[in-house]
Amino acid sequence: MQELKPKILVIDDEKALREGIKSFLENESFYVEIAKNGLSGIELALKNDFDIIMIDMKLPDIEGYEVLKKIKESKPNSICIVSTAFASIEAAVSSVRLGAFSYIPKPFSPDELLFQLEQGIKQRKILVESELLRNEKEEFLLEIANEKSRLNTIIESISSGVLLINKIGELVYFNHAALNKLNWKSIQIGEYILERLPDELKNILKDFLNAETIINKSITTQIEIVTKGVMFLDATCSAVLHSDGSFAGVVIILKNITGFKKNEFIKNQFISMVAHELKSPVLAALGFLQLMQDEKIKITKEQEVDFFNRSVQRLKGALELINDLLDISRMEMKKKYREIVCVNINKIISNIIPIFELEISKKNIHLALQLGDNIPEINLDTSEISRMFMNLMSNAIKYNRNGGYINIFTKLESNYILIKIMDTGIGLKEEDKGLLFNEFFRAKNKLTKNISGTGLGLTIVKRIVESYQGKIELESEFEKGTTFIIWLPINNSSKNG
Amino acid sequence: MKSIDNYKKILLVDDDIDLLEQNKILFESLGLNIITADSAKEGLIQFMKELPDAAIIDLIMERPDSGFVLSHKIKNTEHGRKIPVLILSSATYDTGIKFGTTTPEEKAWIKCDGFLNKPVVIEELISKLEKFVN
Repeated sequence: MQELKPKILVIDDEKALREGIKSFLENESFYVEIAKNGLSGIELALKNDFDIIMIDMKLPDIEGYEVLKKIKESKPNSICIVSTAFASIEAAVSSVRLGAFSYIPKPFSPDELLFQLEQGIKQRKILVESELLRNEKEEFLLEIANEKSRLNTIIESISSGVLLINKIGELVYFNHAALNKLNWKSIQIGEYILERLPDELKNILKDFLNAETIINKSITTQIEIVTKGVMFLDATCSAVLHSDGSFAGVVIILKNITGFKKNEFIKNQFISMVAHELKSPVLAALGFLQLMQDEKIKITKEQEVDFFNRSVQRLKGALELINDLLDISRMEMKKKYREIVCVNINKIISNIIPIFELEISKKNIHLALQLGDNIPEINLDTSEISRMFMNLMSNAIKYNRNGGYINIFTKLESNYILIKIMDTGIGLKEEDKGLLFNEFFRAKNKLTKNISGTGLGLTIVKRIVESYQGKIELESEFEKGTTFIIWLPINNSSKNG
Repeated sequence: MKSIDNYKKILLVDDDIDLLEQNKILFESLGLNIITADSAKEGLIQFMKELPDAAIIDLIMERPDSGFVLSHKIKNTEHGRKIPVLILSSATYDTGIKFGTTTPEEKAWIKCDGFLNKPVVIEELISKLEKFVN
């Protein structure tokens, strides 16, 4: 605005005077507009942004005071200079009180006018600049507020808990995830929080707060929060520094690792079960050998033959178990790189049957196939699906009675291929049905005593079925037989590709 | 008279019939009279019927804690309180939990008189049984 001409509005009913001032000031490089009465003056003043407005106190329509008041109300930064022929101290004082910058009595000399205008323009500059500054500051504050609320939103929306604690152990900032993680109902900013923290966390925090030199690495611990169940948290503490590098406090990030811990637990449990299952046959075989080795113990020739045979059986069982375990771990890894091809389930079944022919005829089992003729080809890993059928077939034969039946049935049912494998074997007791698919579960009763198995066959079957988003169920009656029912989705190509 | 001679009749419970038979032969070679049962259920029936002088029970049978349950049931009978009940296990390996019966608290909740490691070392069995007599 410095480069522009100062804009002046002259409101005066005396035509000669206002025209005279206009031409005089235009010569002095001002931009000038004129108004002949109060209302048109107000109109002009509000429509434009004048630097200085000269208001005659005595106007034909409304009082000069009114004009001053109206203009100051909506244009507080306008500099108003009041002029009047009826000069009096009172008039001067009251006009200044209403917001006039100065008071100039009529008649005035051009120099007097110029002097007043220069003073006014200086004041105008100050006012305008301070307003600019004020606006900038407000904008800046608004930006900070926005930034802060953005940050709050971000921190609030992350699933990890966040706690910021100052160097005397008071809470400075937190998100609600932290409350959930620690199972706290509420906390207050400014609250002394140290003693409320779980012990492991408290100790780490004390180390941070009491450290002589700032600990500049993160320290992580695991904590257990007991609520309805148990929640495992991973808590990471890091020092927070002021911009000058001095210690400000500690930020704690809490992550829920319960799922991870559960997996770890299941894996450990599986390993200890495997160890136990492997130990039993080795122990049994070793036991027989040691009995035969022990000279103090007398055993008959028949016993010796029996013990040898049983040792061999147990070691064979151990080997089978190891093979099953290898299969399971291969399956777990293979999920990433299966050999998926388009195959017909019926064909796989037909290919497997000959493998069992000998066992089937040995037990004089009647096998019946009812394979649906509209079964679509689906994308599968052939070796996995073969393995699934082989395990089920092997069970159907192993647990069947002599002269029993096995029916294999396939059918297209909406989006699924339905497969049923029915046997007339020993069946399952009600209490064993729920446990059948568990690792190492084997029904133990007088009928299963002489049947060997690893307890992993059906676990493998279930894992294969579920890895194709399929489902396996069973129907069974003790001493009557068992039917396994499998649904395999036919539109699974994209999911396994 | 050796204190082992106090034990005329011992009940052996294990669902692994091979191990059951081996231990039976082993213990019989010491001159003990052995009664066997291949399940916790059968074990309790045999205990009630035979009232043995000691019981040795495998830990993991139908359930991972079948041995404890059976031992608890036996210890709750009048006769059971008079005889030693030992749990047969490699439990430190099996469960990852190390337990013993050295304090009264442990004895109170485990309700058995001691543990035997698999495979059974005959000297260990004898020393545990003799300790109970003393």
